Amino acid sequence: MSERIVVDPITRIEGHLRIEAEVKDGFITDAWSAGTMVRGLEIILKGRDPRDAWAFCERVCGVCTTMHALASVRAVEDAVGIAIPPNAELIRNIMFCVQSIHDHVVHFYHLHALDWVDVVSALKADPAEASRIAQSISHWPKSSPGYFSDLQKRLTKFVESGQLGIFANGYWGHPAYKLPPAVNLIGVAHYLEALEWQKEIVKVHTIFGGKNPHPNYLVGGVPCSINIDEANAINAERLAMVTRLLEQAQVFVEQVYIPDLLAIAPAYLDWAAIGGGVKNHLCYGDLPTNGFADVARFKFPRGAVLDRDLSRIHAVDPKDPSGVQEFIDHSWYSYSGGEGKHPWEGETTFNYTGPKPPYEHLNVEGKYSWLKTPRWKGHAMEVGPLSRMLVGYAAGHAEIKDAVTETLAALKAPPAVLFSTLGRTAARGIETRLTARWALEFHQQLLTNIRNGDSRTFTKEKWDPSTWPTIARGVGASEAPRGALAHWIVINNRKIENYQLVVPTTWNGSPRDAKGQRSPYESSLIGTPVHDPKLPLEILRTIHSFDPCLACAVH
Amino acid sequence: MDILTPSPSVDSRDTTTVYEQLTSRGVSRRDFLKFCGWMSACMGLGSEGVAQVALALETKKRIPVVWMHFQECTCCSESFLRSSHPIVADILLDKISLDYTETLLAASGHQAESVLHQTITKYKGEYLLCIEGSVPTAADGVYCCIGGRSAVDIIQEVAAGAKAIIAWGNCACSGCVQAAKPNPTSATPVSKIITGKPIVHVQGCPPIAEVMAGVLVHLLTFDRIPQLDALGRPKAFYSRRVHDTCYRRPNYDAGLFVESFDDENARKGYCLYKMGCRGPTTYNSCGTIRWNGGVSFPIQSGHGCIGCSESSFWDNGPFYERLGSFPGFGIETTADKIGLVVGAATVVGATGHAILTNIRKHHEIGEQPGESAAQGPSTSAGESSNQGGTQS
Amino acid sequence: MSTHAPSASPSAYQRIYVWELPVRFYHWLNALCILVLTVTGFLIANPPAINTASEASFSYWFGMNRFIHFAAAYVFVFNFAFRIYWGFVGNKYANWKNFLPLRWTQAKEVAKVLRVDILQSSNTPLVAAGHNALAYLTYFVMFLVFVFQVASGFAMYANMSDAWFPSLFTWMLPLFGGDAGLRQWHHLATWFFIIFTIIHVYLVFYHDYVEGHGVLSSMAGGWKFLPKKHVDGDGKSRFSGQRAAKPAGAAPRSPS
Ligand code: HEM
Ligand code: HEM
Ligand code: NFV
Ligand code: SF4
Ligand code: SF4
Ligand code: F3S
Ligand SMILES: [Mg+2]
Repeated sequence: MSERIVVDPITRIEGHLRIEAEVKDGFITDAWSAGTMVRGLEIILKGRDPRDAWAFCERVCGVCTTMHALASVRAVEDAVGIAIPPNAELIRNIMFCVQSIHDHVVHFYHLHALDWVDVVSALKADPAEASRIAQSISHWPKSSPGYFSDLQKRLTKFVESGQLGIFANGYWGHPAYKLPPAVNLIGVAHYLEALEWQKEIVKVHTIFGGKNPHPNYLVGGVPCSINIDEANAINAERLAMVTRLLEQAQVFVEQVYIPDLLAIAPAYLDWAAIGGGVKNHLCYGDLPTNGFADVARFKFPRGAVLDRDLSRIHAVDPKDPSGVQEFIDHSWYSYSGGEGKHPWEGETTFNYTGPKPPYEHLNVEGKYSWLKTPRWKGHAMEVGPLSRMLVGYAAGHAEIKDAVTETLAALKAPPAVLFSTLGRTAARGIETRLTARWALEFHQQLLTNIRNGDSRTFTKEKWDPSTWPTIARGVGASEAPRGALAHWIVINNRKIENYQLVVPTTWNGSPRDAKGQRSPYESSLIGTPVHDPKLPLEILRTIHSFDPCLACAVH
Repeated sequence: MDILTPSPSVDSRDTTTVYEQLTSRGVSRRDFLKFCGWMSACMGLGSEGVAQVALALETKKRIPVVWMHFQECTCCSESFLRSSHPIVADILLDKISLDYTETLLAASGHQAESVLHQTITKYKGEYLLCIEGSVPTAADGVYCCIGGRSAVDIIQEVAAGAKAIIAWGNCACSGCVQAAKPNPTSATPVSKIITGKPIVHVQGCPPIAEVMAGVLVHLLTFDRIPQLDALGRPKAFYSRRVHDTCYRRPNYDAGLFVESFDDENARKGYCLYKMGCRGPTTYNSCGTIRWNGGVSFPIQSGHGCIGCSESSFWDNGPFYERLGSFPGFGIETTADKIGLVVGAATVVGATGHAILTNIRKHHEIGEQPGESAAQGPSTSAGESSNQGGTQS
Repeated sequence: MSTHAPSASPSAYQRIYVWELPVRFYHWLNALCILVLTVTGFLIANPPAINTASEASFSYWFGMNRFIHFAAAYVFVFNFAFRIYWGFVGNKYANWKNFLPLRWTQAKEVAKVLRVDILQSSNTPLVAAGHNALAYLTYFVMFLVFVFQVASGFAMYANMSDAWFPSLFTWMLPLFGGDAGLRQWHHLATWFFIIFTIIHVYLVFYHDYVEGHGVLSSMAGGWKFLPKKHVDGDGKSRFSGQRAAKPAGAAPRSPS
């Protein structure tokens, strides 16, 4: 007997995601993922000044803020042929790393942790035990028995108040929760600490971009000027503050996030066999060290892995018309003709054919989502930290390979465990260690450049649209926290003629294609055990492991 | 599971005040008063305000808050979490009871819906409704649905029992980017949908964290809406233009301008007016409170203000032109372009007219019959001129 | 057959005092204000790169420029207010009723001016002691733009000032979606004045050139020179537009 369950809203994500799933004998047999909100950014961008596009695009998402701005300035620079100065590249890289660190830590503690950590069980923990465990896994100073017992008192009082706020109606006590009470208590403590911590790291964005969320970007470089002899510019004080913030971030990642990850994962090793999903992984690569044209020198390599075959890397070219294509067979859009469209030829025309709200079920035979369905050479691809780690691993990238190996060793698990819900969550942690380290490297490089007398942050060449060709096309690719992101722009007569975004969550969360191939969310849910169809905890675990962002996915 | 499922009861809520919550969490009396001082300064209450704020926080109960997300980017939530005063994040967790927000809620699906339902029925007329995002009204609301219901539908239900509404950010206040032309989904701000409820517009894309916190504390402390400006924004935070509190203002008055990004002048921190800075037409606290704990703000980091706390700022672009394209005339049509075109047409017209005049009015020009004493009473020239004149 | 009957004699012309001193004073002060406001306004809009001072504290030219704009704005407003007052107490040429073609005769005159002076499809001479009805109408439109410019200007100025007068206009802001929108319209209206001035000055020269009634100098000395038969008979009317209705001993006007 099978049962159709609906989870809508999926919470602890960005945006409006609906999952419908078929459950039979305690396992999911089929699933449909639908994005239920659309804004039409691609329509709104038409006709505007390409140099303004970054600001519009940045508002696609406030969780991965900056990523769309970065992709957008790159798209325009690619279209009109601008090479930015080295310092601008470094500052963008630092901001990139900061975004990645922030996003991953917040995801782990505030969006994902409650799938694994039982807040109520923490009430029963022995603070001394929690302290002992905490001290055995990390040097983090906030680990005394007193600290944990104070926290526990606070928590008890909170629960006794009867007003449970964001914890109300959670899945507490569900048999899928496996952690001992003491570890749950540590998890809750770090949930709160991470909340305090996350507002510090983003100050790097504030220094270089003026604010966070939504710092400022600029076609041709970065808007902040460097002048170490001036109170009004990026000077020694500002640079020193960046150093301190990056160092503190690294300490938190190394002493809190990673130890927690390694403490929680062993209790859930069964999840290393669940939620694998599609077997293909795509990565555009990012963190250029010699200009965005020199793909070979990216810190995150570019490439695709097909069928989990880590012995082969497939070349990826976002400009290849038969590479990336978007389909709308199950999406509420219409095309003027043809099937898949490369984004330079992409179209965005709403065509809602779903049920009139309020509705019980979507018509999953027809169109059922506002996400388009992207494919790479016809394959459904997973994108994200896991794909980055896998492509880096397959490409033989030393730092990535070492980091992956080290973590697998700590978990005493073979590489195969990576293709899973747990693998995705672990890959995010591994990546954060790397970006936290790289951020400091980039910053060091920036300081060296300045010391050597190069303080340029912007190139004026081609700033003036009158220097542009009448028709120009460009791609701005990036690796957003949730995966491969690219913007395609067509400029005609100095205005945007076409602008298309294909976003990480579009890759992962899209509806199936005409051939019935499922995208990663739908595919990864199949085979997931469901203890009680009324309580969708297991669905949340796998879906959250992708870190969904629906505002991004639909835009 | 059962321990936490019982619905919140009014009685137990009444047992803890914000102050008790804080002290139980290890916040010292001194820190608490410091916070009160900061809050009252923020709200423009001065030193007498401190006691008022402190008293309110010591005695007031946690107010239930329902935070809805419609068409938005979650950035307002993100900004809110950045509230930087040492204990603001704590206060907000403890001072209010954030009963529903999709971003942080542990429960999903039916469990989430039931939390929402419990709060709005149990605390009817008492809860504070925060709205992030605009509401698409086109096509029966299908552009934003949650749990199978349209945002248009949901907002009516949640607003009905709200004590007051806070519209977070440009999305909820004026539609923001999705309402920029051509507004394909008919993204509509809250105030155009909900009437008869007090609505506080906390503008910005996103608003400054401390401003968001400040508005909440004001509502909690005084149990009433702060003073609002003509556009519904709290005066405490939106009564001054960015330009009036901008530290680069002396450069503006001295006519010292950045002429291109990263030029000599940019490196000296001259005024960004000619880079399109919208500070002179934008009301916000960026120059005073600044961002992320006072670290910086857009102008301090070298980019002009893009006017993110003003309605329809997206259509006031291009951002790097000092005056935007003329509203309603499409992109690249500045007032000066319109003026120059019409002005040139006028000059051409006048020149043409002058030439025409010399041809058509040839006979009227100059001395007319009888105008000059020396000319005599009648001339044949006068006759012919009149003939010419009457031919037309 | 024609107005300019051969029987006309030199004494058929009369010198009439049209523009009283206050009107002339108003006119030139107004013209000066608009010149100053336009120049300072455009400087506000597009400040030139004069980066001579390395320290902001050495210079205040841009602030001064804005100050001049605001000071001229006040002069402009009071001058304008004075002209409105004079529309009630001044001579008939200055009377406020002239400015709207509400009477049939005025409306007819507007049409006629269009035919004679603008399209030049007719050569029938048209003589007006004050302005002609179309000119009055144009000035009225311009007064409306004055009002807009004052309201928008003071609305923007209100938050820089503690005075009560500017705050009377803050309701303009929400109407135009905030300061940015209002500023663009304020800027656009400037072009109205520029274009008005081109046409206005051209037409003043045109009339002087074609008709020779001394229009050009009338704004200096106040006097115009008109054929006697076009001059009002009773001279009592306070409304210059009534002239055509009561031509004192004028010859019948030519059909046209
Ligand atoms: C014929 C009359 C006027 C003309 C031609 C004129 C012209 C201008 C122009 C071209 C600008 C620059 C707009 C821009 O590009 O941003 C401007 C700005 C301004 N004008 Fe006027 N204006 C006139 C009257 C007034 C009046 C009566 C006021 C009343 C106070 C006023 C107040 C302002 C203000 C406040 C600004 C903005 C200045 C700033 O914030 O720096 N203007 N004006
Ligand atoms: C060289 C510059 C100018 C000259 C020679 C000039 C001349 C004149 C003359 C001769 C008249 C009377 C026209 C008639 O009898 O129909 C007049 C009226 C008028 N002019 Fe000008 N003018 C000049 C500039 C301006 C400017 C810059 C403005 C304003 C933008 C202006 C606004 C007016 C107005 C409003 C009247 C109607 C006066 C009244 O009835 O109160 N003039 N001007
Ligand atoms: N999907 C997505 Fe983003 C990310 N990471 C996009 O580029 O989250 Ni808001
Ligand atoms: S106002 Fe701006 S920051 Fe806030 S949700 Fe809307 S787009 Fe995001
Ligand atoms: S930088 Fe912008 S806000 Fe600051 S003084 Fe210049 S124009 Fe005004
Ligand atoms: S862009 Fe927004 S953040 Fe402040 S400086 Fe301008 S109002
Ligand atoms: Mg797209």
